[in-house]
Amino acid sequence: MEKIKQNPIVKKLGFNRIILFCILILLYVAFSVAIPGFAGMARIMSILNYVYFLGFLALGVTFVIATGGIDFSIGPVMFCCALMAGYSLNTYKVPVIAAILMSIVIGFCFGVFNGWLVSFVGVPPFIVSMASMNIAKGLGSVFTKTQSVSWPQVNDPDGRGWFRSLVKVGDVPTGLIIFAVFVVILFIVMNNTKPGRYILSLGSNKEAVRLSGVNVRKWQMLAYVICGTLVGIAAIFFVSAYTTVQPGLGDTYNNEAIASCVMGGTSMAGGLASIGGTVIGVFVISLLQEGIMALRMTKEVQMIITGLIVIVFVYADVSARRRKN
Amino acid sequence: MGEVILTMKGIDKSFPGVHALDHVDLELRRGEVHALMGENGAGKSTLMKVLTGIYTKDSGTITFEGKEVEFHNTHEAQEAGIVIVHQELNMVGDLTVAQNIFIGREFKKGIMIDDKKMIAESKKLFDELHIDIDPRAKMSDLTVGKQQMCEIAKAISHKAKVIIFDEPSAALTEKEIEDLFVIIRDLRAQNLGIIYISHRMDEIKVITDRVTVMRDGGYVGTLITAECTKEDIINMMVGRVIYEDPKTHSMVPDDAPVVLKVEHLNAGKMVQDVSFELRKGEILGFSGLMGAGRTETARALFGADPKTGGDIYINGEKVTINSPEDAVKHGIGYLSEDRKRYGIVVQKTITENSTMATMEKFTSGLFINKAEEKKVAEQYIKELATKTPSADELVVNLSGGNQQKVVIAKWLVRNCDILIFDEPTRGIDVGAKNEIYKLMNRLASEGKSIIMISSEMTEILRMSDRIVVMCEGKKTGEIRIEEATQEAIMNKATRDIQ
Amino acid sequence: MTKKKSIFTQEVIVGIVLIALYFLFRTISADFGKYTTFLSMMDISYYYVFMAIGVAFPLITGGVDLSIGTGMICYALAGGFMIRQYGWPTGLAILLSILFGVAIGALNGVLISLMGLPPFLATLCTCMITRGLGSVVTGSFAVPWPTAKQPNGWFHSIFKITMADKTKLPLGLLWVILLMLVMQFVLAHTKFGRYTIAIGSNKEAAMLSGINVKFYHVMVYVVSGLFAGLASIAYGAVIKTVQPGTGAGMELDAIGGAIVGGVSASGGYGTIYGTVIGAYVIIFLKQGLPYIGFNANMQQIITGLVLIGAVAIDIVKRKVIK
Repeated sequence: MEKIKQNPIVKKLGFNRIILFCILILLYVAFSVAIPGFAGMARIMSILNYVYFLGFLALGVTFVIATGGIDFSIGPVMFCCALMAGYSLNTYKVPVIAAILMSIVIGFCFGVFNGWLVSFVGVPPFIVSMASMNIAKGLGSVFTKTQSVSWPQVNDPDGRGWFRSLVKVGDVPTGLIIFAVFVVILFIVMNNTKPGRYILSLGSNKEAVRLSGVNVRKWQMLAYVICGTLVGIAAIFFVSAYTTVQPGLGDTYNNEAIASCVMGGTSMAGGLASIGGTVIGVFVISLLQEGIMALRMTKEVQMIITGLIVIVFVYADVSARRRKN
Repeated sequence: MGEVILTMKGIDKSFPGVHALDHVDLELRRGEVHALMGENGAGKSTLMKVLTGIYTKDSGTITFEGKEVEFHNTHEAQEAGIVIVHQELNMVGDLTVAQNIFIGREFKKGIMIDDKKMIAESKKLFDELHIDIDPRAKMSDLTVGKQQMCEIAKAISHKAKVIIFDEPSAALTEKEIEDLFVIIRDLRAQNLGIIYISHRMDEIKVITDRVTVMRDGGYVGTLITAECTKEDIINMMVGRVIYEDPKTHSMVPDDAPVVLKVEHLNAGKMVQDVSFELRKGEILGFSGLMGAGRTETARALFGADPKTGGDIYINGEKVTINSPEDAVKHGIGYLSEDRKRYGIVVQKTITENSTMATMEKFTSGLFINKAEEKKVAEQYIKELATKTPSADELVVNLSGGNQQKVVIAKWLVRNCDILIFDEPTRGIDVGAKNEIYKLMNRLASEGKSIIMISSEMTEILRMSDRIVVMCEGKKTGEIRIEEATQEAIMNKATRDIQ
Repeated sequence: MTKKKSIFTQEVIVGIVLIALYFLFRTISADFGKYTTFLSMMDISYYYVFMAIGVAFPLITGGVDLSIGTGMICYALAGGFMIRQYGWPTGLAILLSILFGVAIGALNGVLISLMGLPPFLATLCTCMITRGLGSVVTGSFAVPWPTAKQPNGWFHSIFKITMADKTKLPLGLLWVILLMLVMQFVLAHTKFGRYTIAIGSNKEAAMLSGINVKFYHVMVYVVSGLFAGLASIAYGAVIKTVQPGTGAGMELDAIGGAIVGGVSASGGYGTIYGTVIGAYVIIFLKQGLPYIGFNANMQQIITGLVLIGAVAIDIVKRKVIK
């Protein structure tokens, strides 16, 4: 066992991530055996739909968790973005591209708001998350007058459904390509750029980084801004796949995004984050979601499972750290 | 000295990868003050934690009042009559003094806590000790010295038979230390056994009857204090004779330019109107007792804490420093006294730590040139003789001395002209200490200017070209090395107190 | 040495704000001043206030309990379901709801105190788990509690009684005041309360003083769960039909109330009477805004901003004192 762990290739990929990847494959095989008709393209496309938006949420929150913080307003904020942009699209007839930009900008603004409060004012992240969650839900409801919002369909005669090709063109999962591009970019940002280096370092020891002459507040805030922007993008992928959003919801996705991160080896204590791990985690959660639906169980069952997953993985991380000290 | 009250025999304790205690013996008698000495990491604290039940021993026996005992937590130890006055203050800031003293064993009236009785009892305790503290005051409103007194009062109130003082004097003023000694002598007269942990050799000679020395987790020996010299104890602690000759004359030429001038620096109570100059190639020692305001001065100068006034000139030009970012821009580097908290990011590699302050040198656009970065890190590993398998090693896996070298590398990579070394050898073993000294001398001879804050007199006398002495937030003197003696420095360091 | 304390503590200021808010709404809207409005506002307030009193304890330890909102719904579902499905007597169902709350509270306590999970994360998970459990147990169907006129609907009179002359009295207010006094006493004058503050102020020191910190830390969450259980009874009595999948967000109003009422978000300080006053400020906003022509959802936004404002003021205050 130790020998395998010390193997340079295994070390590079990360032992835990390899295990998680195996779990993913096994889970897929298990579902395919247990549920007739589970294997096949249709299910995979359906899983991918879930992967996209959850992926952006999870990648975003990975940056925040890397700083040692947390953001569990991401689900409601995503809904807020989709609601406000979609409402503008339908009611004020803004162009689709403008609505997409609007969604991203709203996410960005939430990121700025959260990041500023956490890093410059010093409000604890969980308080900021709670407040943002409330504000996002309230904004979404007030703006849409508590109506659900449906984004245009692919075949809408006025051609306003073109944005759906972000996800799928015919049978080609274009969304996967876009997602992959983002994963690569974010991987490089996290591991090979100055912002990534500072975000990870300050997550591990903020004061030491500050005393190295680094403007830690700026970089800490940046993590939240990256997260917010990705949440705005997630909103686009959500409506591209699921069309309709309702005000007052969205908080179930917080836990799924956080679960993806912690499964992938990102530590809640900060300083340690794996983009690749988060991506595998997202696939596991999305597969679970699909499998549970296929087993004719409700979303609620998945909530329980996700909750348990987070507890188990965070506990594993906490006790590993305890052992080290 | 009376009969034996406590015996620890063959105490053994291992942590994963560390043999923290290797068959250690300790014997304490009634009416005795017993010093426990050893360098940082020698195992004193671990031994005391085993005694008070925080750690469980792997083997060995503890005999207390003739019976073999084993405590599972501090509470059980307290019940038996063994209490510890901790080095870090263990006070609940949001509760009052009385509530703190009786925490965990509150007087009760039915289900209610009897606060009145607790206040009255605290008053009685303070009267006995001749301390003037209001039991109703909120703990966080007291000075550090007074908090320490509360801690002692709390220990005594436990009807203790054995009291352990873990570096009690570290945060106290000279006057408070004298008060403390009066209390300790009083306790000794009441036939209590007292274990006294301290690094201050002069205190050991004044207050203790016997001294047990530990080294690297092992037991070295026990001496009667009156019959041994300071050198005997030091030799036992380090296992070899150290030669620490003081510097006899300044290495700085008379015409060396002033690189840093600080005028009327103010920052809260701990930094009041401090002015000094630092010249090119100079090592300027900052001496003083704990709490004299030296670290605070350095932090204010570096922009780590806000200042309320004062001007800073670098190479004759006035500069504004409001954050560490500003300070680093002006070529100042700061090596904190608390490396783990303020110096290094332990979970990151040597390379990442070395380039932390100089990221822009290794980035083109946003991207980090990892090869270049590693090359530089390796160059400094070689130059500073850092002991590590590779530059990719996590800093957490290095020893204290090597961690310090990583911090030094961080500032050398940055090419800082002014370096502030705050307690540069704290927690570092003797061999590595000498290396750090050599390095500092080399840096000074290469034209870097160094401010060195140190609480070790020998270190100050050995390294400094000039010495600034501080006391209670004020600069109380400046001494040229040619005229410096321990007595002269001590005199100024305690000037205000006397 | 001891600083003179200003009488204008956050509790007093928030009390003044509460009264001002009430009269402001009354002046703007005549409807707001009606007794029936007052009654319905009180009805709504009980479960929020119970949750707030409970969650004040984790907050004072520097933690948080995010599971109280969905938890409350889950316990109300469980109790109501037993009455409907298996014909349990109401008293037994109430007991079940409360014990369910205690159990989830204990689970939170174990996760946080013994297993070392961050409080917000552990309770975020139990928030999701209770939400899921409620739906799974009831098969995702809404559960009605007995109405006041039904034979086993006696428990309604715990919170509201109708006098002989048909006027209704908000009896629940009495319970609110009673529980407030009891829990304030517990916080200020019992070991449990004192150790709650000690854990929030300096956990290490409390541990080294020989306090069984782990036990008390678990108990803090048990209390929070207990009060969420009590809240579920009030919820069953007032809302009558409990919908699975709801409850998310209610914890924020309760936590917001506690923090507005002076409980420090970083732990170590707080009062129960302040918590109750703060909770009523949030409820007034929640219930009052529609009367003065605002969208009810504005309250969510305002609560969010007020929450941050209260914490930011606390932070700035600490900085100034230093």
